[in-house]
Amino acid sequence: GALLQTNNFSSLIFRRLCILKGIYPHEPKHKKKVNKGSTAPRTFYLLKDIRFLLHEPIVGKFREYKIFVRKLKKAYGKTEWSAVERVRENKPTYKLDHIIKERYPTFIDALRDIDDALCMCFLFSTFARTGKCHVQTIQLCRRLTVEWMNYVIASRSLRKVFLSIKGIYYQAEVMGQLITWVVPYQFSHDHPVDVDYRVMATFTELYTTLLGFVSFRLYSSLNLVYPPKLDSNGESEPKEESEDDYAMNSESYLEKLSALSASLARVVSSADEEEAQPDQFPSEGEDMEKMEAREKELKQQEAQKKLFEGLKFYLNREVPRESLAFVIRCFGGQVSWDKSVCIGSTYDVTDETITHQIIDRPSVGKQYINRYYIQPQWLYDCVNAKILLPVEDYFLGVTLPPHLSPFVEEKEGDYVPPEKLKMMALQRGEKPGVDEEEEEEEGEQEEEEEQEEDDNGDEEDDEEEVAEEKNLKKMEEQRSQGKSLHVKVTPGKLKVENKARLEQEEKAEEKRLAIMMMKKKEKYLYDKIMFGKKRKVREANKLAAKRKAHDDSEKAKKKKARK
Amino acid sequence: MAAARRLKRVAISQPGFLTLNPKVTPTDLVSSRRKRVNKNKKKNWNKYSDVQDVEEFLEDVRHQERTTGGLLCEKSDDSLFFLDVGQPKKVEEKEAAEPVKGKKRKGKSSRPLRIDLILQHDSLVAPPKDVLAYQKPNAKKLRRTAERAEKLAAKGVVPRSKKRLLNRTVVDRTSKKTETEANNNPERDFYDIWGQETKDLGEPWYLQQTRKKLVKRPEKLNEKPSVLPAVEVIAPGGSYNPDFFSHQELLREAHEVELKKKKVEDKLERQLAYNKADTATEETILREQVEGLVEESEEEEEKDAPKEDGEEVAVGAIAVADKKTERQRKREKAEKIKEQQRLTERRQTEQQQQLFQLRSIKTSIKQQEETTQVRQKRRKAKEEAQKAQPRRLGKLKFQPQDMEVQLSDELAGSLRQLKPEGSVLMDRFKSLQKRNLIEPRERAKFKRRLKVKYVEKRAFKEIS
Repeated sequence: GALLQTNNFSSLIFRRLCILKGIYPHEPKHKKKVNKGSTAPRTFYLLKDIRFLLHEPIVGKFREYKIFVRKLKKAYGKTEWSAVERVRENKPTYKLDHIIKERYPTFIDALRDIDDALCMCFLFSTFARTGKCHVQTIQLCRRLTVEWMNYVIASRSLRKVFLSIKGIYYQAEVMGQLITWVVPYQFSHDHPVDVDYRVMATFTELYTTLLGFVSFRLYSSLNLVYPPKLDSNGESEPKEESEDDYAMNSESYLEKLSALSASLARVVSSADEEEAQPDQFPSEGEDMEKMEAREKELKQQEAQKKLFEGLKFYLNREVPRESLAFVIRCFGGQVSWDKSVCIGSTYDVTDETITHQIIDRPSVGKQYINRYYIQPQWLYDCVNAKILLPVEDYFLGVTLPPHLSPFVEEKEGDYVPPEKLKMMALQRGEKPGVDEEEEEEEGEQEEEEEQEEDDNGDEEDDEEEVAEEKNLKKMEEQRSQGKSLHVKVTPGKLKVENKARLEQEEKAEEKRLAIMMMKKKEKYLYDKIMFGKKRKVREANKLAAKRKAHDDSEKAKKKKARK
Repeated sequence: MAAARRLKRVAISQPGFLTLNPKVTPTDLVSSRRKRVNKNKKKNWNKYSDVQDVEEFLEDVRHQERTTGGLLCEKSDDSLFFLDVGQPKKVEEKEAAEPVKGKKRKGKSSRPLRIDLILQHDSLVAPPKDVLAYQKPNAKKLRRTAERAEKLAAKGVVPRSKKRLLNRTVVDRTSKKTETEANNNPERDFYDIWGQETKDLGEPWYLQQTRKKLVKRPEKLNEKPSVLPAVEVIAPGGSYNPDFFSHQELLREAHEVELKKKKVEDKLERQLAYNKADTATEETILREQVEGLVEESEEEEEKDAPKEDGEEVAVGAIAVADKKTERQRKREKAEKIKEQQRLTERRQTEQQQQLFQLRSIKTSIKQQEETTQVRQKRRKAKEEAQKAQPRRLGKLKFQPQDMEVQLSDELAGSLRQLKPEGSVLMDRFKSLQKRNLIEPRERAKFKRRLKVKYVEKRAFKEIS
């Protein structure tokens, strides 16, 4: 049965407890039955859940807290400051460790639920310390997020980045789990009024504990020291001189960590990083294909991990430092910035070995010849494309190509924007010099061919038959007309058997037969699917044509403008 | 009062006392009759014995002591008298003093204030000595105990009080602090919660009885209440620098949402609208007022007519109850039996006929099954679709967030110029609601306990 939230403790504490314990409201099947005959909407919880909830030791702690508040209020009211101090000192506190263990019995369970925790921690760490929530919570969130980012860097597990108008979406693959989180842009907060901060704070309370334990486990899995320490013998050591300008001694540790520019200390020194070879299993048939595909994917991933290795970046002060530093370091690049921007810069602008300078302003004063000046989008696009894209499109002052979402996976027949097609071509290793329009047309042709194959596979055969018949007819006519038959023996032409074509034909034939053998019901379904596919293709073609028209008009405009 | 009167009387009785009134002799004033009192009581001694002279004498002695520091009679002549040789130097002093005005002033200002002089101690009798300032009570005893303690300390014997202090177990304050550390402490420690086995604190039975063992969590609670992912990535059109078509797509979606909202609003407006022709005019008002006054008689007649009919019907129904004859009963019974026979026969033939209808029956059954299957499928599909939908968990329905969209002219050319749209905080909050983790709620309204009264200040009132 279900139960209303009527309890001997206030609804506020009850809600907190429910959130912490993972007990969610329930929609009853028969509202009238549980609501004393009334159908008015109310919040229901399962009775068994509530009974389980009341066994929680934290319930007692909450009661203690209530009493603490009452005592404090009383002392304040009497203006007994010594009493206030005494009561304050004995403030009851509690821990959520056992709840984490209870809700997530294994580490993988916790990892599956880490998305929410990450989002919440990243969000809270950007809050201003103005009393919307406890300053301590904000600090803890900041610490945890920095630790997480350092882990992702150390394990090189970032996969996708997407700059949206809302925030930056990241996706990482940690222990086989895809983990997505969103980070708000810096300084972009207007606090919406219709958000219940208390609820959010309660969730954060739980998630900080969860994230802490998860990151401990992750660090120990990489043999890293937890809490993280900077690698003291790394070659990219931050300059020591200017540390005092940024932070107090107590804070400089976290600040240096959050600069993300130095690598972390390991328990066992990482002298020899073994390249883990994927295990080979003897397999046959379809499995082989799958295995090959997987191997290929693994290779691609390995390549992606070393994407920026050997490159040296310098961030100008107007670009989002933290995000870029995170992305660059995730793929093995070296990064630095002006030392007045943040602590932990490793080299100056004047360093001759810098290969790329990230810049987001219309012009620069002094330019070095031996480095590229590019806009920040290049980095993100490279990460999503898994290759180093040509830098020409991202030079200073150039109109940028669109930033595509890496989270969209096009199915067969969907409309694919030409930029993506270009990218895919680059991934396949084709030369970037190929005109995009050609690419596009190729794509279309392919699609059309497929379409033809799908629906009129048998018509082709018919046509051939028709042609043969015509030939025969002609011969007969000739026979009947010309009585003087000039019979001749000509040397036979060798029929070149195109193997590939034959194979194709065979396949088409098989398919046709399979379609013929279908039951009526299945055939109906098949037709429906094919119709849907065709419609999709048609729509995609339409969109592509539209795009072409749009591009043409744009080009024409440009030409006019030039003239 | 009594003492004063007695004093007066005693003074008068002295020999040589002169009164102001010459006619009255001092003896007359005192009544000639002596008062007789018993002298055998101490009370009367105090009351009636004359100690005036003694007191005066003592007073005089005290006065002398106070002012001169001893009895005058005991002092030497030198200390009492001096040789008066006039005041020859005074004039000269004055002359010498006059030219220096500042000095004179200074002397005047340096003179102590009268109020201080009054308060000064002017008695020459030395104050009595405080004996305790020089002596220590129990000095001997204390000295002895100290000596003994020294001796013991030299031997290495620790006194009991100290021993007790030393034996007291030290309460470790720091350990308590770490135990009760708040869970949002930014420096808090984490450990491997999944790796370590839970420590066995004792027998399971003991733990259960003392409520130290946690209750097992029901399996069902680990299921997620929704199939939606925790983070829903924004559509590709929401990129900061979107592809043209995906941006258009997103705009179209947002447009549709707006259209829907507009439709709802319009519908509401339509429902609220009223027909303007229905408003009251003078004519209708008049008719309303006169209603029932003009056509009264006709309506009454109409009302009367149906009443009579009703009465007749009722009477008829009661009157029909008549007794059946024997014959009628028999006939009815026979008819009943015949009817039953006819029905059974018909049923039999129908059943026989069904043998030939087997095919059609089969098809009909098949059809039925098919329809149920279709319905089942539809229901299942609906359930699946429902899983992704937010449920009705509280008073309010889930309101999806406004779509974050930037119009074509709002799009920023570069990352630097990007103006973020929407709020991640709102997005997270709505996501929690959408996944049925929390119920949608109205923001708690601020309730005022006392009524507010607005009063204009007098200063403003005069102006306005």
